[in-house]
Amino acid sequence: MNGGDGRYEVTPLIAAAHELKAPLALVRQLALRLEDESLTDSERQRLLRQTILTSERALRLTSDLTRSARLDSALFTLEPINPEQLCRDIISELSPLFEAYGRSVKIKARKHPLLLVANRDLLRRILLGFNDNALHYSTPGSAVHMQVQAFKKSGIIRIGVRDYGPALSSDMWRKLQKKLKTAPQSIHARPESSGLGLYIASQFAEAMNGRIGAVRHKDGATFYVELQASSQMSLL
Amino acid sequence: MTKILLVEDDAWLAEMEARVLKGAGYEVSIAPHALSAIDHIDTMAPDVIILDVLLAGSTGFALLNELQSHGDTKHVPVILCTNLAEQFDSTRLHEYGVKRVVDKSTMHPQDLVVAVRAVLG
Repeated sequence: MNGGDGRYEVTPLIAAAHELKAPLALVRQLALRLEDESLTDSERQRLLRQTILTSERALRLTSDLTRSARLDSALFTLEPINPEQLCRDIISELSPLFEAYGRSVKIKARKHPLLLVANRDLLRRILLGFNDNALHYSTPGSAVHMQVQAFKKSGIIRIGVRDYGPALSSDMWRKLQKKLKTAPQSIHARPESSGLGLYIASQFAEAMNGRIGAVRHKDGATFYVELQASSQMSLL
Repeated sequence: MTKILLVEDDAWLAEMEARVLKGAGYEVSIAPHALSAIDHIDTMAPDVIILDVLLAGSTGFALLNELQSHGDTKHVPVILCTNLAEQFDSTRLHEYGVKRVVDKSTMHPQDLVVAVRAVLG
């Protein structure tokens, strides 16, 4: 497993273990803290809530891994989906986690509804992953913004998740661009992340004939997924 | 009072670690990312830095390089607190000013206090 130059050959199993380590380590620390008998009831309740929310984050990743392994079977059906409504559902699901971390997540409302072609579950998982990433990288007190845009000429609909935090360094940005396109690489070469989450999102997007990408801002980043607009959109 | 800068981007973990360190009598400031850490270093002049290497915007290694490039910060002992402990070569870490590595995934909260005492001699 460990090459002569000290680098690890990253199998999906190792990458998955690597990604799961952070939330599991946090769950363990929360549990150790709960052993403190001097905790007040409200402190104990808060720690329990944090433990549940962190466990749910880890579970989301394991669910994504399971689905990623099944992609070859082409079992996923595509259907017309209202992306704004899906974003609202995701915001409802994630708001407790964001609030617990002192952040919020919002969507910019559109005047006219849009429809795109996707598998609801895969798209939901891509957006949950982007939001989880935004939660991690956004500044405390800031809001993460979800936005749906239509590119009429190309017939593409883009759903973006914009975070506000420290600007990515050029070096990290280059690595990020590579992660958006390639399978997880050597952990040794990329100590900041195995890139598994983005790789899974990329696979999910491709399974729906779409793609993912990122835009760097002075004060954060936007991760997006682009999918084909539905021909039924003209009926709306 | 010994001043510790805790550079950790998970707010809940930072809060728990800071609580333990304060309980041991240390003054603790928290920086959620490398840029904030640099601001804190300028204003508080920490005696010890506890650093997670996975940081938003820039890696902990960029911060270590920055610390090593300035005469007034290159001797500040750094404790690396990371989930990637088993992947680092301790000899090379020493070149970055890292005096001790704490494995975040197996540590007990008091391990940070032990590590701070150890690097302060």
